[in-house]
Amino acid sequence: MSTHKKQMFCWSFLLVVFLVTLFSSYLTPYDANTMNMSEVYESPNGSHLFGTDHLGRDVLTRLIQGGKVTLTVATVATILSFIIGLIYGGISGYLGGVLDTVMMRIVEVLLTIPSILIILVCQAFMQGNIWSMILIIGLTSWYTTARMIRTEFLKLNQMEFVQMAKMIGTPSWKIILDHLLRNSIQAVFVVTLFNFAGAIFVEVSLSFLGIGVPPAVPSWGNMLYHAQSDFIAGAWWIGLFPGLLIIFTVLAINMIGSSSIKAKGGQ
Amino acid sequence: MLEIKELSIGLDEQHIVKHASFLIKHGKISTMIGESGSGKSLTLLAILGMLPKEMRVSGDILFGVRSLFGMSVEELHSFRRDEVFVILQDAFNSFNPSVRLGKQLFALSEGKRTIGYSTFLERMSPIFSRLHLSNDVCEKYPFELSGGMLQRCMIACALYKKPSLLIADEPTSGLDLYSQKAFIKTVVEMNREMGTTIFLITHDIDVVKELADEVIVMFQGAVVESGKSDILLNSPKHSYTKQLVNSSFRMVE
Repeated sequence: MSTHKKQMFCWSFLLVVFLVTLFSSYLTPYDANTMNMSEVYESPNGSHLFGTDHLGRDVLTRLIQGGKVTLTVATVATILSFIIGLIYGGISGYLGGVLDTVMMRIVEVLLTIPSILIILVCQAFMQGNIWSMILIIGLTSWYTTARMIRTEFLKLNQMEFVQMAKMIGTPSWKIILDHLLRNSIQAVFVVTLFNFAGAIFVEVSLSFLGIGVPPAVPSWGNMLYHAQSDFIAGAWWIGLFPGLLIIFTVLAINMIGSSSIKAKGGQ
Repeated sequence: MLEIKELSIGLDEQHIVKHASFLIKHGKISTMIGESGSGKSLTLLAILGMLPKEMRVSGDILFGVRSLFGMSVEELHSFRRDEVFVILQDAFNSFNPSVRLGKQLFALSEGKRTIGYSTFLERMSPIFSRLHLSNDVCEKYPFELSGGMLQRCMIACALYKKPSLLIADEPTSGLDLYSQKAFIKTVVEMNREMGTTIFLITHDIDVVKELADEVIVMFQGAVVESGKSDILLNSPKHSYTKQLVNSSFRMVE
């Protein structure tokens, strides 16, 4: 498949996943939390395409509804980290000098601490609700964005067109928005995509460990958490479908990211 | 027009430009020639007041009777916006890659925005046709045009603005011979018709021969020779100038 086709395929897959989760309340035939004790552990069949779980809840419904939580967490956290990275990196790159050196050393120190460790500790304290999780993921994933923006700003600041704009007295905010930011977005886009994939992964891992989203709320990670015991009971479908969906979603995002890098000439 | 007096530029312990003094005479075409790294571009940055902060500058630059170093920020902006127009070596990097050219040309030539964009286009259109550019370039992004076309867009701004001083830093080095000729022709026309003072920085002795009234020769950070071009080029005194004159491609005029 050509790079372009591959990208289009991945984009359309993501679009479908997003649209289906967005309109989940209209699409799903069952309620995500309605239990039906007479239909416990049913394997995939005509009325329950992906089967039911240990409380008789429809797996397909929970999968679609769960996407809402997982994707919301990932999206908002990514936006948060993007904004923080933009401001931090922007200040560092635009002002430069000693401030830049200090700010970048701080980021380097933060980068050496595995963010999953910080997230685990914080989650353990804050006793997971969705918003605290978004906050923690957002606060621990902006480092690369900041470094990227800073590098782009430093590079662009030296270029002739920025020098000329400064020369004729263009106001700073205009230089930052029109010249620096506008030309760095493309480079940061890929990092943000990978951040998004990473955020999905963090939500899934935390919920899988039982310290993410509260147990009653369906999310892809939560479903995997429960699927551990179900799997031993022989109910393979409860873990398989969320697992596949997570893999394909993250894979699609990563593929878009890496083919964007290739299209730019590979860095 | 511009008088550079004992200009020295240093970084740390090194002196990059040493006691350079020369004149850019009103209404004339002055060229500065010198090899790469001889301090030409730094001198230009000093004239524009755009030197990096960590560089030390001494000496003085007079614009008319006023010292550029004594100007306030606003005065400096208005000097650079209203009196001078600068064409830089790399036409590709002189434009923002993600903004359509029309907007950029508008910002470069109508810094104060006293007129609207459509009026600007109307006034620009005869200049475009003079330079053999179509009006479509305004709708294009810089990467859609060639270096020569972008350089012509820059000149279009200069023709529009009618600055009293046009500074060009190695404007012909990235261009093919035909574009070089066209560029030189336009610059000479600007000088003759509008009386624009031209200050051209180059390392091409043929360009100097072609159009210069005055020549300033820079060698290893110092001005080694300056004066009227016909006299200077016919009887060069410094060994570097001799070498330059002999390196010309055109042996027979």
